[in-house]
Order: sequence, then C-alpha cells, then structure tokens
Amino acid sequence: MGGNRMPAVGIPRAMLYYRYGTLWEKFFEVLGGTTGLSPPGSRGILETGTRLAPDEGCLSLKMFMGHVEALVGRCEKIFIPRYSNYGFTEVFCTRYEGLYDQARNIFRTSGQKFITCNVDAQNGSPEPKGFEQFGVELGFSAQESRRAWREASKALAQKQKADEAAQRELAGKPGMKVLVAGHSYVLSDPYLGKPILDYLDAAGTIRLRADAAEPETARKACAQFSPTCRWIVSEEIVGGVLLWKDRVDGIILVSAFPCGPDSMTNELLIRRIKGIPVLSLMLDTQTGTAGIETRLESFLDIIRFQKGEMV
Amino acid sequence: MKQQRKVALPRYGEYNCALKYIVEQGFEAQCVLPPPLSRRTEDLGARNSPDLVCTPFKTTLGSMIEALEAGADTIIMVHGACRLNYFGELQEQILRDLGYSFEFINLSLYNTGKMRDLLKALKVINPRCSMVKAARALYDAAQMVEHLDDTTSFYYENCGFDPSGTYSKIYRNFIADMYDARNLSEIREAYRSANRAFADVKLEKPRDPIRIGIIGDYYTVMDPFSNLELEQKLADMGVEVHRLMNITNDMLRNSEKNKQASVRAFTEYSMGASSTTDIWQAQNFAERAFDGLIQVKSAFCMPETDIMPVLANLSRDYKIPVLYLTYDSQTSDVGLMTRLEAFYDMVDMRKKVAR
Repeated sequence: MGGNRMPAVGIPRAMLYYRYGTLWEKFFEVLGGTTGLSPPGSRGILETGTRLAPDEGCLSLKMFMGHVEALVGRCEKIFIPRYSNYGFTEVFCTRYEGLYDQARNIFRTSGQKFITCNVDAQNGSPEPKGFEQFGVELGFSAQESRRAWREASKALAQKQKADEAAQRELAGKPGMKVLVAGHSYVLSDPYLGKPILDYLDAAGTIRLRADAAEPETARKACAQFSPTCRWIVSEEIVGGVLLWKDRVDGIILVSAFPCGPDSMTNELLIRRIKGIPVLSLMLDTQTGTAGIETRLESFLDIIRFQKGEMV
Repeated sequence: MKQQRKVALPRYGEYNCALKYIVEQGFEAQCVLPPPLSRRTEDLGARNSPDLVCTPFKTTLGSMIEALEAGADTIIMVHGACRLNYFGELQEQILRDLGYSFEFINLSLYNTGKMRDLLKALKVINPRCSMVKAARALYDAAQMVEHLDDTTSFYYENCGFDPSGTYSKIYRNFIADMYDARNLSEIREAYRSANRAFADVKLEKPRDPIRIGIIGDYYTVMDPFSNLELEQKLADMGVEVHRLMNITNDMLRNSEKNKQASVRAFTEYSMGASSTTDIWQAQNFAERAFDGLIQVKSAFCMPETDIMPVLANLSRDYKIPVLYLTYDSQTSDVGLMTRLEAFYDMVDMRKKVAR
C-alpha cells in the first residue's frame, strides 16, 4: 500500500447505507481503511435528528442527521456519498443528492470533517469513476481504487443475489404470505420498520420484502409498469412489488412521512395493482406501536377473510 | 377536414399566454385557457390527489379538470428535475380513473435530453403542421416569456410606489395583450407601449427603499394565486420586491454550473433541482445588501426543504433576515398578512437603526 494511511471513516447507519452499505464497507476494506458505523437507529437518535434537520424534512432525513450527530467528534471524517444519477433518465431522489452539503451546513460549526464520493453520470462522474476519484482523493492510486470498486460492487451484487435466493426459498413455503414494500432504510431500521416486520413474523405470516430483488430486473419491470418513474431506488421497490406480487396474499406499503417519491409511486401502485389487498402504512415521529399493530392485525384478518379462512 | 385539437396546459402564473401562442401560431390548433386558479381549483386538486404530494401537483391537477370542463380535449404536462417529472403520469392515471377522456401529451415521456424528442411530442398537437412554422413560434414565444418576465419584474419593483394605481392598470393591459398577440411585432409593440406608459407615471419612491428578495420553488414562487399574491402584498406595504426566479433566468439564460461555482462557500455540489439557482439568488440578494429575504415553498417541497440549513448559514454570514413561508392548500390570507407585517416591521426597524 506504499505508506498510504486511510483515515478513520465514520459511516451514518441510515438512508442509502441500507442499500449500498456493503459496497462502501468493502471499498474501504479493500483499500485497507478502518470504518466505524453509527449505532443502530433508535428513538434517541431520531429525537436528536429531529432537532437538527429542517422541520419539514422526511422522517428518514431526521434519522440520518441523528446518526451524523452520533459520529461527530468520534471519527476523523464522516462519509456521506452524493448519489445524484446514473444518467439522464436514471436519477436519485434530490434528498440523497443534497445530503452531503446539507450535513456540512447543519454541522458547520462542529469542526467535523466530511468526505463524499460523487456519483453523477450527467456531469461526467458515473459510479465507477466517482469511486475511483474518491480513492485517489483518499491518497490511493487510480488502479488500487478501481480494484477496490470492482471488488466492492461484486460483494454488493453477491449479497443481493443471496437475499433474493433466500427469499425465493421462503416464498416456496406454504402459508399466508405478505409482501412488505418500502425503502430499505425504513424497513431495516430497528426503530422504524423492524417492529412491523417483527409483528408479521410473530403473527406467523411468511414475510417477503420488495427490496429483496435483483435491482436490474426490478428496474426493468418498473420501466414497463411506469415509464416516467426515474428514481432508481423507487424503481427497485416498485419493480420488487411487481416481481413478487403474484406469490403473496397481501401487500403492505411502508413509507416514512412525508417521503416524496413514495407519495407518488405508492399512489400509482394502489391505483394500478388490482385483485390483491394493499395496506399503506405511514410512519411518523409518533412513539408507540399500538396504532400500527391494530392496522396490521385487521389487514391480516382481511387477507384471511379473502382466502376463506375466516367466515 | 379533421377537427382542430383543443389544447390546454394547467395554469401556471401568466405563462399560459406563451403556450397559447405556440399552439395557435405554431401548430394551428386551438388553445383552451383553463379558468383562473381559484379555491375550487385547489379543492378539486386536493380531493383527488395523494395527501403528501406537493401543492403544485394538486393545483395543476385541479386546473386540468377545469380545462377538461372548459372543452379541452388534449392536455400537455411539462417535465422537470424534481417530483414534477412524475406529475404527468400520475395525474393522467387519476384523471382516467375519474372517468375523463382526453389525449395526454406527457413531455416527461419524451424527456431524453434531446430537443428533437421534445419536438416529436409537440408534433402530436398537429402532425401536419410545418416544423419551420412551429420552430418560429417557439422562438417568438421565448421572446414573449422574456418580455413578460422583464415587465413583471419591473412592475413589482416599482408598483408599491405608485399611489395612483396606474401601474397596476398598465400591467394588466400588458398581460391581456400577451394573450392576444398573434405575431412577434405585436408582442414587441405591447412591451414597448407598456414601458412607455410606465415611464409616464410619476413614482413616489424614497431614495433608499426597503428591498426584499424572493426565492422559492419553481411553481409556488412564480404563481401569484399559489403564493397568495405575496409580491403584490409586499409592494403594497411600500417594498421594492425583487424576484429573479422566472423562466427567463432559470431556463432561457442560465448557467447552473457557473452559479454552483459562485456559491461554493456554502455548497460543494448541486443539491438537486433548482437548489443551486435558489442559493445563488439568495447570495446575490445578500451581496447587494437587500434588507430581507423570503423563501417561498409549497408544503413537502423536497429541494426547498433541503436548502433551509444553507439559507440559515447564509443569513448568519451576510446578516440578512430570512422569512420561510410554506404554502399548502389551506393557507389563508390572514395568517400570511400577520407574518408579512411582522417581518416588514423588523426589517424596517433594522434599516432605521442602520441609518
């Protein structure tokens, strides 16, 4: 590694971490750097973030800023990649695009250093090149950085394949099946989405996730269904719903208040998917899960009723 | 002979005059103007839209319904860099579910980054029209938009200092002329005559008036109905109102890359959609020592929400007060007036102390 020293990098365990985290961690690992994650999402982190983020931001943005705060002063640099687009018609929600600069503005007086990796194909920096440049900025050679990117993206693809295979096996089992669709950072967050997943597990349903689908296949399915949906992550979720919907008895759309892309794609899904019960759940800063549980319970009853199990 | 299409675009400030010109002069079709935006438009839109979508979605959906009621058979919807890019597809679905029948030209479908593809979309209006004529009309319409924006800016910068009310009459006449214009010379003549008329009015303007700069989301800040006539209200308090956000500055003459370079003290990259333009405009107003800044945004607007921490820092660095206004479908005049008056008093007091 020729005397290169990777600074200790802090990664907020929020937002796109749940989609790309495997790639980021592997990238740093191959280059030989040490990374640290913020603690798992919690009520405390959300409350801190709610104080820091703009009032009108989404729940996930508030959670994210809470995670950043948890890292401030505890690592040399906080890593917030800027995911803007993969091309003219393949874009990310503007929130991810602005996260790095927004955090820098919110934590301006903290003295904390931030680093970013710019994924912006429209302006000559597609994902592989963005990471190559990022590696070079960190003090590694272009060749080392390219190798790290290749291994990292391979690791992510493998993880996604494994997730999908595991889910396919699950889908083959007999029993009542429910598909949960939402952003990975909502569903996988221990404070936000996990109570929903836990409830469904405890109720004995076979629970599938829309985000456990090979991204390219999912996006192709979405392009047919909704040609002008161009948010990459939303395409993956919508596509995941389309790919799994015929194997399940009900669909639960989970969204974090007031998610912009979800506000539209979920509406379209509800309008265009016929013949299967759909529940739309909105998570907000309310604490306590009783309200959510009541709705899940009655939704499962509806499915049982439809299947003729409850007459 | 095949019947002419009756084409409509949802109401968007006074920019519908430019679409009317393109449709009628360029494509030889008929343009249906939806009724002016009203409480009814908003109710229609809000009732049929998802709750958490931004207000412009609801307002434009309401205006589409009113256009269809007014006899339009073809609706054009534009594309954009934020959720706007997805408006068309969902609005079409909602309208179809409501049972309306119409042709829908969703520019987002043709938005590939190539002008050629956008022209293809417009060709649907009248497949037999001459492309030379259409291109000419597009050019003329761009001139119309420039004249409209220029006159609008001049009007709000000065109308607050005209006690006679003549300014308002001239401006209203000018807008009416833009809707009636049939060729470039009529556009230019109306523009010149408005300017001549403005020059004849004697203004009672103090040497150093209060100047407030307005920034905000692409729809709400440019549409007087949606922002509850914010600019007129401020002007009526005796404020010189400046707004750089318009189609001329943001589409016809814009270099976002260079603007981003100018605001690098605050942001390293674009934060999406119109954020760079907005931050640049805010900084520009601050550098010109304006007395206050107002951010206008619709509820749930993502890019405008994301730049709020940036504006807060800009406000600290330049010591310029910022008023953040969020508009949803329920905003009433009274609440807005109270906030504007308080903001005005504060800005006025600061100015007096500074003197």
